[in-house]
Amino acid sequence: MTPNQNMSTKFRGALRNELAIWIQKGIVTEETATQLSTAYELDNLRHESTRLLSAVIFTIGGLLLGGGLISFVAANWEGIPTPIKLALLFSALLGLHTVGFWLWHSKNWRRLGHALIFCGCLVFGANIGLVAQIFHISSNWYGGFGVWALGSLVMAWAVRSWIIGVLVLSTSFIWFVGFQSDQEQLASSYPLILAISLLPLAWIICSRVLHAGTLLGIIMAACVLAGYQGSGRQLLFTMAAGGMFMWTLGEFHRASEWRTEFGNITGGLGLGLLAVTAYVWSFHYLWDQLVFGPMRSLWAFLFFSLSIAFSLLMWARGRQGQALLTAGVLLAGGILCASSLLSGASANTSNGEFLFTVTTNLAALILAAIIIGVGLLDERRLAFWLGSLYLVLLILSRFLEYETSLLAKSVAFLACGVTVIIAGISYEKYLRRKAAGLEAHKEEVGYE
Amino acid sequence: MSKRASLVAFIVAVVIQILILVAVPARKVFTMATGKTVVLKVQPVDPYSILSGYYATLRFDISRIDAFPNARGMSQGFPDGAWFYAIVEKGDEGTWKPISLEHELPADLPDNRAALLGRINHGAIRYGIEEFYIPEAQRHRIAEDLSRNVDKARVEIKVDRSGHTALDRLRIEDRIYE
Repeated sequence: MTPNQNMSTKFRGALRNELAIWIQKGIVTEETATQLSTAYELDNLRHESTRLLSAVIFTIGGLLLGGGLISFVAANWEGIPTPIKLALLFSALLGLHTVGFWLWHSKNWRRLGHALIFCGCLVFGANIGLVAQIFHISSNWYGGFGVWALGSLVMAWAVRSWIIGVLVLSTSFIWFVGFQSDQEQLASSYPLILAISLLPLAWIICSRVLHAGTLLGIIMAACVLAGYQGSGRQLLFTMAAGGMFMWTLGEFHRASEWRTEFGNITGGLGLGLLAVTAYVWSFHYLWDQLVFGPMRSLWAFLFFSLSIAFSLLMWARGRQGQALLTAGVLLAGGILCASSLLSGASANTSNGEFLFTVTTNLAALILAAIIIGVGLLDERRLAFWLGSLYLVLLILSRFLEYETSLLAKSVAFLACGVTVIIAGISYEKYLRRKAAGLEAHKEEVGYE
Repeated sequence: MSKRASLVAFIVAVVIQILILVAVPARKVFTMATGKTVVLKVQPVDPYSILSGYYATLRFDISRIDAFPNARGMSQGFPDGAWFYAIVEKGDEGTWKPISLEHELPADLPDNRAALLGRINHGAIRYGIEEFYIPEAQRHRIAEDLSRNVDKARVEIKVDRSGHTALDRLRIEDRIYE
């Protein structure tokens, strides 16, 4: 049995320390402790702690090695005959891949092997550029990124690598940005291609970074398409619906047994995207300048429908714990979507801009309350502070946006500063009280 | 995945990457090997920013649509992305001059004519030979030579039977840059 992926190394470390005390106190038998130790792979903890560091060091080493090889070849470019240049490029690629695979599978140097294969994929991209130079190939600037992404995608699947998956995500997105300016119709299928090619990989290898990154890439691509069509309200609808979709999907992961470890990061990014959207559109100036173009983004409607579907699924499963937060997020997202949809109908109304500025500010305030709420309910300090700062940013932005007297501005700044400090102190006290209560409870059950 | 399956998947991925790297210059290599040599006069685009990165941006007489006498009479216009065959003819000075634009590849061209496949891009015709990559050490020398002697600058390209082009070398008087 493998440990639940949601159990952090910190939790397992604490459990290992506690087990020794529990055995001493007679709370658990040695047999039960052994079972727990096996279930949570506590013996592996020592090795795991150094794994992340080694992975980072090996990856940086691989990057430097790749950069060094390419620079060496480029530095001697003039003096090297073309066949030798090509031989060097192909040798570097094959060498890195072969040694990487051999170390990974034959010598059990998994992380070093992984880093070298990743480096091989970087060299593959550099080789595309260098080959184009050798033969004076003049093409669209983004074409090389497209073939780089294609070659790396095959390798990401072959070696089940999340970091090569992230490379595919980055290079394919750069290609998409260039391609959609030339071929808008064809480019509109990019989010679907991204979903098909990377989400199953993230799922199989259980990579939170690749999963959340791909979802964000899909939504950003839909936003680029919406923005390129020249409609500001379509962009707002796509961003808001995308944020709602990520939040509800994250909550769905948390509520269900399907990849619960994807829940926090997906939901967090969704909430962040909604907060950014609400903040950007909270400025009156933007509504004043908004282009009332057509609303034809299928992706935005798909995100919206999926977020409703996931909410209903959670409702059907009877998940109560986060119901208030989810309702709040849907309300804020719904306000943003409704503002976008209704703004087209009120294009000729003189006070339309004022109305939608108010609604987006209201959505932003709800989101600030939700982020602070997450910090309080889940005892997540970062969420509490980010929510507080977001609220302060909103208030200060309004004071700086509109013409107010210096005295009013001064009062606003002072009030915000004092409120943040008082809220922070109250929150820290609340956490300490809770920790003290837990300690007292432990002492009651005979734990020293 | 079993070790054998991992190995097979890995080999397939490496082979695909190699095939992509081979495919990138394949068309140019074929054109260089089988094509006819055509010499074009270089037009300065902007003498003050002729180098961008490590390559020189080149324009030719045949980059301009109005350089072809029959262009005005073409009813379908020149929308972005449209493909054309530019027919050029060898002149007395050894450089090739624009003759006409065609939608189809002409069946029989005499030896002193060639058809270059080009695409409309922002009101100009691009043939895929507009960027000449320069070694870092020669960058400033070539830029200076180009800006001083732009009337004498020529590029030698290869054109294959289907109209595809490949840039071979840049020549300024007797100085050759490859």
